[in-house]
Amino acid sequence: MTEARNPSVPARVGTAVRRTGHRIRRFFRLYRIFISQFLKRLVEYRIDFLTGAFAFFFGQLFNVLFVFLIFENITELDGWSLQHIIFIYGFSLIPRGIDHLYADNLWKVAYFLVRKGDFDKYLTRPIDPLLHVLMEGFEPDALGELLTGIILVIAAGTSLGLELTAAQWLLGAVAVAAGTLIYTGIKIIFASAALWIKRSGSLLHMVYMTSDFVKYPVSIYNAFIRTLVTYVIPFAFTSFYPASYLLTGKDPLFCVGGTVIAGITAVCLGRFIWTRGINAYESAGS
Amino acid sequence: MIEVHNIVKDFRKTIKKPGLAGSVASLFRPEYETVRAVDDVSFKVPEGEILGFIGPNGAGKSTIIKMLTGILTPNSGSCRINGYIPQKERKKYVREIGVVFGQRTQLWWDLPLTETYTVLREIYNIPDAQFKKRMGFLTEVLELDQFISSPVRTLSLGQRMRADIAASMLHSPKVLFLDEPTIGLDIVVKDNIRKAIRELNRNEKTTIILTTHDLSDIELLCKRIILIDKGRLVYDGELSHIRDTFGKVREISFTLADGSAAIDFDVPKHEDLAVVREGAQVSVRFNTSVIHLPDMLAKILAAARVSDIAVKDIDVEEILRRVYTRQAVL
Amino acid sequence: MKIKAYLPFISGGIQSQLAYKWNFFGFFIGEIFFTFVMYYLWKAVFLHTDTGIINGFTILDMTVYIFVSNITQFLTGTDASYAIGEEIVDGSVSMRMIKPVSYDISLLFNEIGTKVVLLVLIMIPVFTGIEIFRYAQTGAIAFSASRLGVYLVSSILSYLVLFYFDLCFGFLAFVLKNLWGFNLLKGSIVRFLSGGMIPLVFFPAWALGILRFLPFSSMCYTPVMIYTGNWSAAQTLASMALQLFWAIAFWLLSRAIWNTTVKRLTVQGG
Repeated sequence: MTEARNPSVPARVGTAVRRTGHRIRRFFRLYRIFISQFLKRLVEYRIDFLTGAFAFFFGQLFNVLFVFLIFENITELDGWSLQHIIFIYGFSLIPRGIDHLYADNLWKVAYFLVRKGDFDKYLTRPIDPLLHVLMEGFEPDALGELLTGIILVIAAGTSLGLELTAAQWLLGAVAVAAGTLIYTGIKIIFASAALWIKRSGSLLHMVYMTSDFVKYPVSIYNAFIRTLVTYVIPFAFTSFYPASYLLTGKDPLFCVGGTVIAGITAVCLGRFIWTRGINAYESAGS
Repeated sequence: MIEVHNIVKDFRKTIKKPGLAGSVASLFRPEYETVRAVDDVSFKVPEGEILGFIGPNGAGKSTIIKMLTGILTPNSGSCRINGYIPQKERKKYVREIGVVFGQRTQLWWDLPLTETYTVLREIYNIPDAQFKKRMGFLTEVLELDQFISSPVRTLSLGQRMRADIAASMLHSPKVLFLDEPTIGLDIVVKDNIRKAIRELNRNEKTTIILTTHDLSDIELLCKRIILIDKGRLVYDGELSHIRDTFGKVREISFTLADGSAAIDFDVPKHEDLAVVREGAQVSVRFNTSVIHLPDMLAKILAAARVSDIAVKDIDVEEILRRVYTRQAVL
Repeated sequence: MKIKAYLPFISGGIQSQLAYKWNFFGFFIGEIFFTFVMYYLWKAVFLHTDTGIINGFTILDMTVYIFVSNITQFLTGTDASYAIGEEIVDGSVSMRMIKPVSYDISLLFNEIGTKVVLLVLIMIPVFTGIEIFRYAQTGAIAFSASRLGVYLVSSILSYLVLFYFDLCFGFLAFVLKNLWGFNLLKGSIVRFLSGGMIPLVFFPAWALGILRFLPFSSMCYTPVMIYTGNWSAAQTLASMALQLFWAIAFWLLSRAIWNTTVKRLTVQGG
């Protein structure tokens, strides 16, 4: 009797662990189901997927061509060679592509889900609405972006004869993961705005576009832009800083540590704002 | 068990001005107004009842449903359903309810219908055996097998509605909210859906809350109705009472063969009587409890030569208007 | 066909543009960012050259080029293929067909309506800014009203080339259900080959030879180069004649495609 009413500490810990394990298992089961749906959708729309991925890839090719044409006239840019620039550019596409792969639905929330009233259904299901939104929006087109980034990084790296230490590989992977979180977090923040103002697609678009600056070394910009993309909307940590660390081995604390901090902050802030947004949505309606 | 106490909902809306000048004006100086969508509504619903909310467009029915489903928070007042306060314990609460929004679908658009149910099974954690049994039952009642493998985007409105109802019932909810479920459907499909709803209620004892502005939905499904007009609860009670009091008004419109002829027939004067004439078109509105329909027809045909004639029921808006003006009686 | 019949399309375009004011600003700001990225990139590039002149461009020339080319692309951009694609997919193309106005002209005027807003709100401040910048850098006023006028005419021609070019592709919506990926591809190709990213003289000689026979230079490069003032009168006239040629060519092509499509539609039923 006493034990049931006052479970011992180990028993309580055991229950908590079991419950968390349960939640994690359920999460993965749910996610697996959603992914299988998207793969099915992929098969349905394979032509669209292929043209989409191809279109992305091709578009990026022009940007690369552009860099090549520039380097017909110079030998180095702020200390970076052609291959360095290509490496940085390619690296910028990787966290961007990964985030695009799984968090694309946030665009829909920002642009029209809330405005058209289709957001309600996420509130009537027994899953966390943010998770539900994210899980539904698997976007295979992003593979075009991702693949291009990887190809460019490998090509440039090989051409430079770049050899990374084990530590650099590890930190590189961490930076990519954290960089992805930066993108997702920022998207969540500005998509949440739609919960207040019904339509925040253009706002999100504006913020997202600042990521264009970080495809190239941030040293070329003036102080204002540098500060903006480093400390305010920290996209520079998704590309330039980690890439420069991999290329030079210098400043790992700032380059990778900064990325991790930015990533975690972005996601936590995003989550916080989203929750407040849901509350506001419930009082204002649509 | 549903308990609603004095809920109020206000919205702040921007005033949009028409035309080109108006668009430019609201760009620089937007104006707002507060609209009270739901005004002090209270009611209780026992388990297993089918309750109909009826009222004209914009009366506040959907807003009430949204508050009951936890999507909207009332400005004041409270509601408690199955012991939960919807907004406070949403995740736990929604496991026990199903919602169908007539205008919007909850199904996954691009994939075959079965996939939606597969995902929902996972979301609601329905054990396999129960899921199979449920799908079998719902497929039968809602006649889904013809299109269960088709992509959702290819379904007609009626098929989609049935599929949405099945989706909302899959996890055996205790309460089902149907917001305008028959809107835009043709008469045969409407009938099928009403039958299905009745069957579900009979089998499962699901409490069903239904909003509609189609009077026939109500007549065929609900014993009890709540009339909402301009956000206020105007009437809460048995449908038969309303029908007895107000449903007896009919309207006969006819075209005179000779447009210039004078017509003269005597009808006992009563409150609901109204004769309107426009050239050759005449319409006579009257209460069938004062004079029976066949008698009225006879009088008209005796009094004038008629080239065309039609009999109409009175519409919901008209009933509501009368209910409003005779609020004291209710 | 009276012009009066098309006026409601313009007013409708303006109203819808104002209704989506935030979409418009957001999109515009995104384009601005791209412009500034290019600006800083080129600034850094020129710093790393010996002479400060590349392919006949100074950094000032390049700056003007970047801004004018981006604003030109923004102003002359068209959604024609997207608009048609949408209408074909949702069936409202038949609504336009039964109205007693020419299909392409009604689309054209609708878009013009949306552009009127752009012209008023954007063009004036941007060009003023460019000229002030030029003055600040050189101490001499480079602005010439006649050149602006020629630029405007050339831009209008660019727009017509782009509009009818796009229209031809819109009808592909009958064949490919989803035009989105394709449009993205077309957009990047057009942008790159029309001088929207880099002045065409930067291309290798063999590429320039091919481009001479393609319509892309008429879509953006011509009006921008006219504005920068680096072209002779002869060159200007020749390029504008080419623009006119391509505008007419695509207009005829889109007409032909439209007629075959309508025949197919009415026979098969969209």
